[in-house]
Amino acid sequence: MLKQEINELLTRTGPGTPMGALFRQYWIPALLAEELPENDCPPVRVKLLSERLIAFRDTEGRYGLIDEFCAHRGVSLWFGRNEESGLRCAYHGWKYDVTGQCVEIPSEPDERQSSLCRKIKLTSYPLVKIGDVLWTYMGDPKTTPDLPQWEFARVPPEQTYTSKRWQECNWLQALEGGIDSSHVSWLHSSGLRDDPLFRGAQGNKYNLSDFKVFFEVVESDGGLFIGARRNAEEGHYYWRITPWVMPCFTMIPPRGDHPVHGHFWIPIDDENCWAYSFDYHAARPLTQQELDAMRAGHGVHNEYVPGTYRPLQNKDNDYMMDRAAQKRGETFSGVKGIAMQDASLQESMGPIVDRTKERLVSTDSGIIMARRKLWKAVEALRDAGVQPPGVNPEHHKVRSAAVVLPKDAAFIDACREDLTVRPGVRHASV
Amino acid sequence: MQRQPTLLNSCARAATAAEARFRISRRDDKVPRASRIIALDERAAGVVRRLAAQRWSGGHFLTAEAVVPVNGSRGDPDDMTLRTPGGSVVLLSDELAGADVVVMIATAQTRAEAASVIGNACAARGIMSVGLVIPGAATADAVVSALRPNAMVLVVLNDEGDVPEILTALRV
Repeated sequence: MLKQEINELLTRTGPGTPMGALFRQYWIPALLAEELPENDCPPVRVKLLSERLIAFRDTEGRYGLIDEFCAHRGVSLWFGRNEESGLRCAYHGWKYDVTGQCVEIPSEPDERQSSLCRKIKLTSYPLVKIGDVLWTYMGDPKTTPDLPQWEFARVPPEQTYTSKRWQECNWLQALEGGIDSSHVSWLHSSGLRDDPLFRGAQGNKYNLSDFKVFFEVVESDGGLFIGARRNAEEGHYYWRITPWVMPCFTMIPPRGDHPVHGHFWIPIDDENCWAYSFDYHAARPLTQQELDAMRAGHGVHNEYVPGTYRPLQNKDNDYMMDRAAQKRGETFSGVKGIAMQDASLQESMGPIVDRTKERLVSTDSGIIMARRKLWKAVEALRDAGVQPPGVNPEHHKVRSAAVVLPKDAAFIDACREDLTVRPGVRHASV
Repeated sequence: MQRQPTLLNSCARAATAAEARFRISRRDDKVPRASRIIALDERAAGVVRRLAAQRWSGGHFLTAEAVVPVNGSRGDPDDMTLRTPGGSVVLLSDELAGADVVVMIATAQTRAEAASVIGNACAARGIMSVGLVIPGAATADAVVSALRPNAMVLVVLNDEGDVPEILTALRV
């Protein structure tokens, strides 16, 4: 249960809000690199943290993320022409470079061009390609942090794959699904048996044979490690350890030698977010079969309404609920696919869930602690300018792990090395 | 024949802010969760005494004392005594009767025995148990190990100030 004012504090991320200020301390995914595939390609509308922006890639290959609307008459620059190192408004031909600087006003006399243009600059944010993602930083330029060091974005291109999907709810309830390990044995039970990116791992047997999960939550420099343990062989526990790095990064514990999955949940506005979903293997290229499965929507990925990033299963078609498959035991909820099983339930909570009414139980302690850490970080930033956890790129160098340990071992001690990025070394996984 | 949804509120599109106005806000579960918050050592007792002075939804705040020896031999763990903030002494077994959740507050000073006795008693009764280990100068490895087998949830905190917020979230 959260008080209404704290729920408001954590869920509102627009300009001028405390949580919006927190998000503006980080490099966050703005769009996929595939959305701007070549120089002078069409611009893309981007809404992030309740700000409407336009992304483009100019003639020299520079990326820009600027205010969507022309300074002249407020026309959307999405209709503009991306040509000769700038984005030209389709209405009167005003032109902007990737920094938002106006560089041409055709209607003005040539001799006045430079002096007038110099005075007109749209809001802009840096846009940097790392891995398959274009990242932006929407905070004060004077405090721009070092670039992100997430392992999935830093491994060679053939070892990683990222997709994104529109999720029609607030970012926080989507994130909370990512740190709630106790739902996996129920909602995703069919995926553990059938999904090509999950099935076959020894760990799945522990998941499916012990539904009474014990949790251990340990604070880390960047956020939390949430350990979920189940019984394994005599004298041993099977641990699945999920890192959460503030504000919205989680990594799912691995299964066998499958690629490792994870997410970012990025606010579009207060009632919508982007779920960025990645898969990577730290020690080998992804196989063609794995890539095919990811593109087909297996694992944490999904199928799309053609030509969009909207899931094919969505609230307009009741997520293609299949009651017969549910009855046959092929899916637990009747919804196909791990990503949409999560999204369907999180969207059903409403655009911003009313947390004053929830009935949390002790196994929700990871969620309780994550909210508490966000709340404290928001207040520390607002009241004292304290840099929040997760900004420092060293905090990005975390991993998930799935291990069998003796019963008396503390996961945080036994797996300290496994929970840290070791380039070229595979995840600790069973 | 399987029918398709007819009205907005009979399909997933009802997950809008406008439709949320029609969610039932009254609750029939008027009986509060029966929570027991038990300090496992003197330092934790100070935390629990301060917490007990705040307003809660019926949670009992207690401090573990000892298993009472009987005729010179080790007593029944169920006869562990607990002290209330008002100074009364109650038996663990009485407090666990009807409890829904037990939150153990521990520090590095906690003796493993206290954690084991209460954790075992909860496990035997199927009561959800939580261990909150609050920070201190010394390492709490021993108490964490003692709590691990029986605390269904174990949270190792960096900030004692998180305790009341966790209890609030759990509607203690």
